[in-house]
Amino acid sequence: MTVLGEFALWIALPVAIWGMFLGFFGGKTQRGDLVLSAERSIYAVTFLLSLASIGIIAAFLGDKYQYWYVASYSNRDLETFYKFAGLWAGQRGSLLFWALLLSIFASITVFQNRNKNREFMPYVAGVLQGIFTFFLVVLLFAKVNPFQKLAFLPADGQGLNPQLQNYWMTIHPPTLYLGFTAFTIPFAFAMAALLNGRLDSRWIVLTRRWVLLSWFFLSVGILLGMRWAYEELGWGGYWFWDPVENASLLPWLTATAFLHSIQIQEKRGMLKVWNMSLVSMTFLLTIFATFLTRSGLIQSVHAFAEQLRIAYIFLAFLGTVTAGVVVLILYRLPKLQSENRIESFLSRESAFLFNNLILVGAAFAVLWGTIFPLIAEGVTGQKISVGPPFFNKVNIPIGLALLALAGIGPVIGWRRASKRNLRKNFLVPLVATFVISATLWVVGVRHAVALTTWGIGLFVLIITGVEFWKGTRARARIEKEPLPIAFYHLVTRNRRRWGGYIVHVGIVLTFAGLAGASYNQDVRKHLMPGDTMNVASPWGHTYHLTYEGLSSSIGRGQRNLDWQAIALFSVREGNKALPNMTTEKRKYVTADQIMTEVGIHTTPEEDLYLILSALDNPSGALNNDPNAQGINLQVLVKPLVIWIWWGGLVLVVGSVIALWPSADRRRDLEDEAPEEPAAIAVGAT
Amino acid sequence: MTLFLGAAMVAAAVVIFIIQPVAKGIHASLERADDELTETEARKRVALLALRDVEYDFLAGKLDENDYRSLKGELTAEALAALEADENARSQVGSVGSEDVEAEIRAIRLGLHEGSVPCPDCGYVNVTGSRFCSACGHSLQAGVAG
Repeated sequence: MTVLGEFALWIALPVAIWGMFLGFFGGKTQRGDLVLSAERSIYAVTFLLSLASIGIIAAFLGDKYQYWYVASYSNRDLETFYKFAGLWAGQRGSLLFWALLLSIFASITVFQNRNKNREFMPYVAGVLQGIFTFFLVVLLFAKVNPFQKLAFLPADGQGLNPQLQNYWMTIHPPTLYLGFTAFTIPFAFAMAALLNGRLDSRWIVLTRRWVLLSWFFLSVGILLGMRWAYEELGWGGYWFWDPVENASLLPWLTATAFLHSIQIQEKRGMLKVWNMSLVSMTFLLTIFATFLTRSGLIQSVHAFAEQLRIAYIFLAFLGTVTAGVVVLILYRLPKLQSENRIESFLSRESAFLFNNLILVGAAFAVLWGTIFPLIAEGVTGQKISVGPPFFNKVNIPIGLALLALAGIGPVIGWRRASKRNLRKNFLVPLVATFVISATLWVVGVRHAVALTTWGIGLFVLIITGVEFWKGTRARARIEKEPLPIAFYHLVTRNRRRWGGYIVHVGIVLTFAGLAGASYNQDVRKHLMPGDTMNVASPWGHTYHLTYEGLSSSIGRGQRNLDWQAIALFSVREGNKALPNMTTEKRKYVTADQIMTEVGIHTTPEEDLYLILSALDNPSGALNNDPNAQGINLQVLVKPLVIWIWWGGLVLVVGSVIALWPSADRRRDLEDEAPEEPAAIAVGAT
Repeated sequence: MTLFLGAAMVAAAVVIFIIQPVAKGIHASLERADDELTETEARKRVALLALRDVEYDFLAGKLDENDYRSLKGELTAEALAALEADENARSQVGSVGSEDVEAEIRAIRLGLHEGSVPCPDCGYVNVTGSRFCSACGHSLQAGVAG
């Protein structure tokens, strides 16, 4: 099976090249037979990449350690579940997995459009096959072939990094990859529009579902990554502005900008060049993210020098695509003129434009902070680190401005808004926000960033609530429906708008949770069994932790575990007893490092987070020596962390509402199309 | 041996599958399907959507009356132009929309041309064809229904 998989990978390359040429040539000459062949080649590539992926999974499940990739990321004792996930555990498999996911999306696209949107399809097939060609060239010629064999047959593999043996980690990368690859479809349609010259908003109407889907997966993927870092990395945080994290944030920022700016093109026929640039930028950033995280570049520029070939191929691809997009946009510039212009500074359009500038600005700041150390190291040879202080300084104001726009945008009308109306609409929410913020200040919330974030968040919540209420009331009155029914119809008749507002609520909750970090408490102490440690919560209560002792085990328990030492604590909050908590040190046979498992007690107000920093005497502790029970404990109290994840859930609900297909197919296709004059008058549909 | 046979079969199947359209002259359609939005239809849709947004913004108190009236005047002109362009395009292509759609377009155009119907309740001037008053929600069923 594995040999067949490798063979499939080799045939996939000529098939992709064939499809690329026939797609472009068939589109140019309008020859239906060539186009059909190009479209079929997409199905063929999907089939071949599936075979290759099955081959890799079969090698993992069958413990075939003659393959370098399997030997590096698995061993006999690894649980079957993680062997299956071996496909995306390392660089080589990930690249194949990336191509596989894209091929599945590509096949869905070709199938969906077999009888419609035919003027786009030749070029869509051509562009997609171009991207497959690139990935297959990387897989086969950049020394990252997952089927590469070792010169000898090892008895066992090196095993999977224990930190990756976590359920969040098994679903986090696929989710992120789904987001990355789904965005390729809008890019392919955008390029097809540039090539076939149909530059109205058709390509946007056709692909906005894909954009939403991609954005949804990117958001969930990023949140899952944060959750994994929080639970598994053992240092008490969820975001460290690490290059890998930044790489996933970059396309998210530009995709968010795109999601907003396409509405201006749809409604006003403006920003056509900008949207073309954004869709291309986002696509390039998904490729850049894959390059950054999967090329070994970030570990060290010098270690990376051994992998120059993959870097050249990636950079050549990024450069070619950029040049191609620029040339096509310049060529089509006369057809990309705006049909309208922004009429007033006070308008929804200009609010969206601000949102776009801020998001793209944030993306550039993050990009610069991420690649600057690499460039500096390459030039000077010195390792420079751009850490959280830089990113926080730049991105906190940017994030707050964005959050404020989520409140301001929905209230400003399209085209032009009068100052009098703005005053009328903003007065109540602003006063309410001010009163509650002042109350917070009086009760002791003095941290500037936290207070500002919560104040602005509150403002957005009030505005969004009022929008829902006004819409529901208008609909109830006009259609003579009871309020709950009116609310249901309001949302279902324009899912994108209201789903989007629900996503805004999710973002507010997440921001509120992030701002909780301003009140993090961090207490460290050396403890012997029986010792008690008191930790004050910013909410006023105090946690009393009593260290009950260590329990250790050698060579038992989970697979691949060398030993583990678990510290047990009984916990009281004031006089109330809480469930016991544990935190532990683990040593896996497959890794040299000793790992920390943290203990987390979660409430809506805060997380109590225990980190077993060090054992006084590990070998003594493992032999149950009563004098070797001392530990260093770090206790963090982290306010409002759960709101980050709750915000994520609300975001999922909002996105699903926005993505949900409408019952009426025609409406679904054109979404929001005014079906009858009454709809114009009712407005609230 | 089995392996080589398998590999050869996979390769042969793939090659036949993708070569067949070229060899046998099977053509995929490259024409636009009948039920797809044309460029003029898209323009029409955008114009009508903009009208709807202005109504919604006015209803929700985001536009004041003067702005609303001037915007609505401009948008109505745009919508009319778009409707006419679409109609011309249709008659050139000779494509036939369903009769319902044609009737709807006629009704909208009639409404836009003729201008307005005052609300019997509050006196607010509505587009002909509106079923309800945009200002107070009062039923206008006596007017031209869509």
